[in-house]
Amino acid sequence: MKESLSRPVSQSLKEYARGITGGLLFSFPLLYTMEMWWAGFIASPAQLMLLVAVTYLLLLGYNRFAGMREDASWRSVFVDSVEEMGIGIALSFCVLLILNRITLYDMSVEEVMSKVVIEAMAVSIGVSVGTAQLGVNKEEDEQGSDSLKAEGGGQRGNQDRGKVATAVLALCGAILVGGNVAPTEEILMIAVEAEPVHVLLMALVSLLLGTVVVYFSDFKGTSPKMSGHLAYTILYDTCISYLIALGASAFVLWFFGRFDNMSFWNAFAQCITLGVIASLGASAGRLLIK
Amino acid sequence: MEVKHKKEKKEIKDQKNLLEWAVFWLSLLLVLSILAYLGYQTYHHKPTSPELSVQFWPEPTEMQPYRYHVEVENTGGETAESVQVEVVLQQDGKEVEKAELHLNFVPQESKREGWVNFSQKPATKSAVSARVASYQKP
Repeated sequence: MKESLSRPVSQSLKEYARGITGGLLFSFPLLYTMEMWWAGFIASPAQLMLLVAVTYLLLLGYNRFAGMREDASWRSVFVDSVEEMGIGIALSFCVLLILNRITLYDMSVEEVMSKVVIEAMAVSIGVSVGTAQLGVNKEEDEQGSDSLKAEGGGQRGNQDRGKVATAVLALCGAILVGGNVAPTEEILMIAVEAEPVHVLLMALVSLLLGTVVVYFSDFKGTSPKMSGHLAYTILYDTCISYLIALGASAFVLWFFGRFDNMSFWNAFAQCITLGVIASLGASAGRLLIK
Repeated sequence: MEVKHKKEKKEIKDQKNLLEWAVFWLSLLLVLSILAYLGYQTYHHKPTSPELSVQFWPEPTEMQPYRYHVEVENTGGETAESVQVEVVLQQDGKEVEKAELHLNFVPQESKREGWVNFSQKPATKSAVSARVASYQKP
């Protein structure tokens, strides 16, 4: 009885293959970044625990609003998020082993574990996005376009849920895209060498990019009658995306220890510098992984 | 009974097969054991300063007859960055030659190794000494 109701093994294998491909596709840049390996042994165990918790929350959010069908129960969202994290850990362990970044003898358990955990968190978000996005089958596609329609005309109905979903997806997009450069020294270098005018320009460009993306993607074909409403929506959406991107940048930079012994101005400039990329992730990346 | 059946039908796609449950339980085990280990470490973690010690021994090769193998171990609770090791060759109480070794990182509870070369043969075994000259906080 139970067997007949469950999914065929071939389908779940296909899903795992998609997840693994996605995980590697989105996180190979980070697996090949030396600052990530260093962060592994610099981060304290408490920070690593926090990172695991934050990643789990991100996975929950992504799976809830984009990764799975809308009628999926919270229970299966929790279960799938754990699975994705497990796959991420296994993948990161294997890749780091192949790259000779960890060795099973001659290296302390702490070092191996912290390197694997840090990389695994990036990989598991990739696994989640990959499972949901790579190779969509027909049925899901139909449902996807249904939900898209629902969101496009989303003034009625579950508007609040739409806003929360937008925010969560923006956060995932910001982390996924911005995370790739966040650990590098380049962000620090750009930020400390930038004049205030450069920082201002970077902030303006991020906002402009955000507005353009939001205008030409989300709201194409909206009736001109509601133009006042449209301007408000675009402004609102851009601001929320940018704030989320800045928040995500600040968290990631703090995690990599970029705020230690820094003046407020330098920390702020780093947030804006990373924010250019993170905000593109929050606006455009959000649409890609939706 | 009817209701139960309906509910089962509704969740038809949520039914996982054995493989997926196996992956789930393995993942849960993995994540929980990592969290437990990290929790244990957090509880016992004392942010002590790096504690570096140097060991060295001759390891000659054909082309490098006076090569020494240097191993730096950090037994402290924090990582040391940019570790500078000086290996000094003495003769009659005077410093004759100094070789330097630079290590990018020596993480806590870990070892890093390198090699230094001298241009002349040390007179006695005790003519060579090594020390960590400097390191910085990461």
